[in-house]
Amino acid sequence: MADVKVVFLKAQKKQSSRLLSLAVGLGSVAGLLVIAQAWSLAMVINGVIFAQKSIMDVMPWMWLMLGILLLRTVIAFFSEQVAFSASAKIKQDLRDRLFRHIQALGPLYLSGESSGDISTVISDGVEKLEAYYARYLPAMSLAVWVPLSILVFVFPLDWKSGLVMILTAPLIPFFMIMIGRGAEKLNQSQWQQLVRMGGHFLDVIQGLTTLKLFNASRREARMIARISEDYRHATMKVLRVAFLSSLALEFFATISIAIVAVLIGFRLLFAEMEFIYGFFILLLAPEFYLPLRSLGSHYHSRMDAIAAAENIVEVLDTPLPGEIKKASEQLSQDSISIQLNNIYFAYDSRPALNGVNVEIESQQRIALVGPSGSGKSTLVNMLLGFIRADEGELLVNNINIQQLDLQQWRSRIAWVPQRPHLFYASIADNVSLGLHEPDREKIVHALEQARALDFVQQLPLGMDTIVGEGGRQLSGGQVQRLALARAFLRDARLLILDEPTAHLDKHSEKLIQQSIETLAQGRTVITVAHRLSTVRNADRILVMDQGKILQQGTHQELVQQTGLYQQLVSAFGETG
Amino acid sequence: MKNIWRLLVLFKPYSGWVLLGIFLSLITLISNIALMAISGWFIASMAIAGAAGVSMNYFSPAAMIRGTAIFRTAGRYAERLVTHEATFRLLSALRVWFYNHLEPLVPAVLEDYRSADLFSRIRADIDMLDNFYIRIIVPVSVAFIAVFIICTVMLNYDLKLALTLLLMLSTAGIVLPFIIARLGQGPGEIVVEQSKLLRTAVIDGVQGMAELTVCGALQQSARQVQLSGQKWIQAQKNMGLVSGLSQSGLLLLANLSVWFVMLLAIPMVAESTIEPAELAMLALFTLASFEAVMPLPEAFRLLGQVKTSAARLFEIVDQQTTVFDPLHKIDKPKTFDLQFNAINFRYKSSDSAVLTDLSLQLKSGKKVAVVGPTGSGKSSLIQLMLRYRQPESGTITLSGQDLSSYSSEQCHDMIAVVPQHTYLFNSSIRENLLIANPSATQQQLEQACEKAQIHDFILSQPEGYDTWVGETGVKISGGQARRLSVARALLRDFELLILDEPGEGLDAKTEHELIQTLVKNLGSKGLLLITHSQTGLALMDEVIVLEKGSCTARGSYQSLLADRGYLTQMLNFDHA
Repeated sequence: MADVKVVFLKAQKKQSSRLLSLAVGLGSVAGLLVIAQAWSLAMVINGVIFAQKSIMDVMPWMWLMLGILLLRTVIAFFSEQVAFSASAKIKQDLRDRLFRHIQALGPLYLSGESSGDISTVISDGVEKLEAYYARYLPAMSLAVWVPLSILVFVFPLDWKSGLVMILTAPLIPFFMIMIGRGAEKLNQSQWQQLVRMGGHFLDVIQGLTTLKLFNASRREARMIARISEDYRHATMKVLRVAFLSSLALEFFATISIAIVAVLIGFRLLFAEMEFIYGFFILLLAPEFYLPLRSLGSHYHSRMDAIAAAENIVEVLDTPLPGEIKKASEQLSQDSISIQLNNIYFAYDSRPALNGVNVEIESQQRIALVGPSGSGKSTLVNMLLGFIRADEGELLVNNINIQQLDLQQWRSRIAWVPQRPHLFYASIADNVSLGLHEPDREKIVHALEQARALDFVQQLPLGMDTIVGEGGRQLSGGQVQRLALARAFLRDARLLILDEPTAHLDKHSEKLIQQSIETLAQGRTVITVAHRLSTVRNADRILVMDQGKILQQGTHQELVQQTGLYQQLVSAFGETG
Repeated sequence: MKNIWRLLVLFKPYSGWVLLGIFLSLITLISNIALMAISGWFIASMAIAGAAGVSMNYFSPAAMIRGTAIFRTAGRYAERLVTHEATFRLLSALRVWFYNHLEPLVPAVLEDYRSADLFSRIRADIDMLDNFYIRIIVPVSVAFIAVFIICTVMLNYDLKLALTLLLMLSTAGIVLPFIIARLGQGPGEIVVEQSKLLRTAVIDGVQGMAELTVCGALQQSARQVQLSGQKWIQAQKNMGLVSGLSQSGLLLLANLSVWFVMLLAIPMVAESTIEPAELAMLALFTLASFEAVMPLPEAFRLLGQVKTSAARLFEIVDQQTTVFDPLHKIDKPKTFDLQFNAINFRYKSSDSAVLTDLSLQLKSGKKVAVVGPTGSGKSSLIQLMLRYRQPESGTITLSGQDLSSYSSEQCHDMIAVVPQHTYLFNSSIRENLLIANPSATQQQLEQACEKAQIHDFILSQPEGYDTWVGETGVKISGGQARRLSVARALLRDFELLILDEPGEGLDAKTEHELIQTLVKNLGSKGLLLITHSQTGLALMDEVIVLEKGSCTARGSYQSLLADRGYLTQMLNFDHA
């Protein structure tokens, strides 16, 4: 459905329609100046050849010509800058809209999409629209205005040349678009193959260690050569045809200049025309075709933009979750107790929670265990307010969560995800995320409690060290401890922890364990557990499977019962 | 410049294609200049003849006009075909050349390079070299030859005219690109920097959205994205000014040249050193001659990038491998007893020792685990066994014979490795498995997959064994990838199977089951489990504890547990 995308692209124009019109206006003025410049050059040469004028005689026209060409250069320059500003405004607006839309869709929307893809849409996808608004659209208008104004001058002077121009003009964009279409077809078949060939090459290089393990690496050198050769043969076959349209294009633009020149020449010989008009038309002939060709060369911007628009429209058209009711209840500063009554939840039609009933008393330490896909993460997502129950009710201190202001509820939670994200910012900013005017002493204290202060202080810039993507690299254990420091600083009443499954070094693991112990004091703690030690220390263990709580109790109680817990424990390792 | 020269040497086998491309491109360019110049001369001469009422030979100029138009058209077509053909040939040669140099270096020599970074560089660098021929060699050569021809033609009329045109052309072709490159350097770097910052802000905002939501920092993140977007656009605007200057500068110089040529040539008409009709010709000739230098600013810009890319590729290609295969092949040993005798090893002479005086024995067919903390030297054992690296001192013997008398390929034949990080090629599951053994039957594949406990998963996919995996394929979990990797190793006819940290991406239960199945199915073949967790240790004939490059304990799992060594510490920690 190209239409939807084109409609979308056109709709964005209104964001900066004035600037776009100004760019086209300036471009058209530059076009008129081209005509004036040609006329003054024709006047000069005509005067010298046919009126035997001296350089002094034609100097006024020379000065005029110089003035025009300077003005024309300046105007063309500004036309381009204005067009850029127009597209800049559109890009900026789209980025904001996309980002806020994704924020409104919430974190769970992303779990279905690759976060890398979405980020690419916002940064590079939107960037691809630049050429469409800054070059293609202005070129489109200029391709109409400039040739039209040239025809206005040519027709009264020599209708035959005008006819040649008017007949060949539409052929240029026609063949340009044919080339574009050809390229598009090439995009679909050959381009895929090119990508695959490039991809294969990279794939082989990235997997070279693996290939070597299987003694398959030398075989691959021959494969690379063969694939490249096959690709060359296949592509050249297509290109031989595809380039025919560029042949036709060149043919019409060049031949019509030749025809105009020869036609004019003969009329001049038979004195049916004055030289000045003939020469003027000859000068204008290449200028007539120039905007048409430049339109053609920007045609691919249109294709790129349409391709990019597809992804943009897809994101913007994803419906937002329903409105959240206004909060009617306030949450006190007390510690948190939670009650889940017969909770059901399904992702689309895939059930994740099938009637969960549990009560979590304040300051209790709860461990959630169960195989992957048993509903542990869904439960956590619901507590964090990322999803709402399809059925049943979730009570926080005996208030239904739906009657609470989500922001207020979340401010009571400290959450340490399995793989905490470090933002490209200083360690201090990462730890104090979301807090206004954070107190540096408190940050230091939080780092200390999280057993992170030692390594932070060893960094040259201490807690002002920039971390995250592109910043200083930290080990998995260090990242965990920073996330815990964030939790300490928030001083929330409910702590939700998702234990890391990846193997951390023993030292880190020990430190993390210690700081979790400190953090748990006086708080309600819910831990998604992957470690036996955590499970053993819990006041209560909830064993989940297939969206239900199968067993609950302490480690000692559960280990006596035959059931899932026993199996899980034996897999954790020897219990001895 | 040395690297540019080396690149040219690489292109040498294709010099015929390169020269043909240059020749055709030159013909196309000269035809257009000739078309414009002759047309100008033709209509002026015809007008003069018409005004004087005399006849003239119009057949040859008219024929030349048509001829140049046809040359231009056909030349363009031929040029495109030839340059593309040459590009594909060069591309294929470059890739094979690079691969052949890279293959012996993996993995040992290239270990210092971060893989993702390395590969993205290779991709960009090789793509960049594609530009070298079409966008640099061809236009620069053509420009030099064409400017020489243009000025020689001009010299026929007048020295001053020739020098003026030469000056203007070289300003446009050399000085202007140089100035633009200098002006653009600063803003160009800022654009790159700002685009990175925007990408980081978006990725942070998207990947960290769950945390931002819980911490109430969504607005903060949206503002950050908005701000980075604005800064990027501002940087692009500054860059746009520079590129706008480049285009306007070229246009201005072309038109100014016409103006100067007229200024100089008009008095020559009065002095009769130039025919009147030639004045019209010179104006159009001058204007058209600038087509020769039009692509130079772009070529200049790319040259810098090509130099950087070439330097990066040569940096890799120039690396030397340190391990050499023996000159004379010897046969595979009958048994597979591997003995490390007082091995000392370090990765680089400047690094600290990884293995110190390590002696160990792996008896044929035994199931052995090497356990130890990160950095204890476990992975270097594999590197030594596969002959990727040489020990500093000490010997490794295989059934009494020095390991270095076997080639690296023979070692790969005897030892199958399930590496710590699984690499799946962009291909079907079947193709991925066949890498290990291209002649394996479907039955063998299925058997291997059953042992690796992945067969059922594969069958549950709509396309079964033809399911596409790898970067562009079906997303599969780390655990599934790991099992495919095991299946792949099982397809080899090995004597010893090495499992390198099988716990990565698997939960403890699955990991345990996997090791159990393997132990059961391996029969008389050996297993070496490299791990830092205790999962599966109970299934081993022997456990070797490696700490700081030395073997600190060995024996059965039970006997080591009785000991108060690393193993008990590790367990105590997990079971605390």
